[in-house]
Amino acid sequence: MIRVQQQCFDAGDEQRALLAGRHDIGAVVGFTGLVRDFNERPDVQALTLEHYPGMTEAALAEIVAEAESRWPLQDVRLVHRVGRLEPGDPIVLVLVASAHRRSAFEACDFIMDYLKTRAPFWKKEHTASGDYWVAERETDHRDARRWEAIS
Amino acid sequence: MTLTHLNVRGEARMVDVADKPESRREASASGFIHMQQSTLQLLVEGNLPKGDVLATARIAAIQAAKRTHELIPLCHALPLSKVEVDFHVDEAEGGVRVTANCRLNGRTGVEMEALTAVSVACLTLYDMCKAVDKDMVIGEIRLEEKRGGKSGEYRRAAPAEPAPIVTGEGASGEVSLGVRCALGEPCVRVKCLAELRERLGVGEVAVPFDRLESADINGLKAVLKEMDARFAGLEEGRVLCAVNQVMAGGATPLTADDEVAFFPPVTGG
Repeated sequence: MIRVQQQCFDAGDEQRALLAGRHDIGAVVGFTGLVRDFNERPDVQALTLEHYPGMTEAALAEIVAEAESRWPLQDVRLVHRVGRLEPGDPIVLVLVASAHRRSAFEACDFIMDYLKTRAPFWKKEHTASGDYWVAERETDHRDARRWEAIS
Repeated sequence: MTLTHLNVRGEARMVDVADKPESRREASASGFIHMQQSTLQLLVEGNLPKGDVLATARIAAIQAAKRTHELIPLCHALPLSKVEVDFHVDEAEGGVRVTANCRLNGRTGVEMEALTAVSVACLTLYDMCKAVDKDMVIGEIRLEEKRGGKSGEYRRAAPAEPAPIVTGEGASGEVSLGVRCALGEPCVRVKCLAELRERLGVGEVAVPFDRLESADINGLKAVLKEMDARFAGLEEGRVLCAVNQVMAGGATPLTADDEVAFFPPVTGG
């Protein structure tokens, strides 16, 4: 299941929903991304996440499909928030279920790396010293390239 | 909603609070005094003729909070347990923001005390600085927050920031280029997203398909730059592109009624 929403989510509720009635799942790996109060500048008071409706959902679906083709996964749940968020708020949740842990760990890592470099989201940070759009990071691209070598 | 300070005949009255239960009451208020940068500088450096301005204003504010009932006709005399006054020198705005916080365990609210403290602090600042600056303006005196009592909690809502949440419909501040495709005329719909939209000052524009010299992204960029000089910004920094919501490049072919989006590198997650 893939969702793009303004509302907050609860990682525990999402995992319970994913596991409900399932007895074949052996491992669930979850990643939650949070808003930090420091980034390119200190004192981040809030951020606004913009996205490209339509393309966003398609890009996320493609990333999940790619993960499912690489690892034997039983379920994936991906929630990404948009709109105004404050430090401590959750931004993104990735839950990956598999029979065995290694696939779940790797697929979760892969999905986040591809999401950060391919899904059309943009962050604007609001700080005490003004607003700015967050710049891309070379480390994110390096992380994403790790998966190309072994595909 | 009724005004508790009026009786049934509409005459002023002091509210009898003897039977109200005691509770913890707290209120914060703020105000701003605008002044010239040179005055602010003297205030910060402590070089004003009347001496330490902020310390004096703080004492004045605390004294005023304690004597609010003498100034405001229907206010009760309150045994305040705390009055805290703070000053924030705001060089960007050119002035001093005053905040006051009052607290007690009692039967009536303390917002009038907090507002009086802020008002008198501002008046004292004016008095201390007026020898060098008569143009100072006192303003924005307001309740920020209030807790306790029957009316419960109040917190002033933060001013809403106009922030685009999703790309699509035009956001404020965008400039329309005035190009509209005539009904039935084939055109390419172009969107600029996120930082690129703000940098170029263009959100959406339609380009008649017939104007493209070559029916691909490079051809579209050439026409856009011809139509409006701001589109030269498409060549600055890394700008990505999608055709019908699929990532594309300069040679990606276009057909009529395609949706083309230009945007900066993504930064989600």
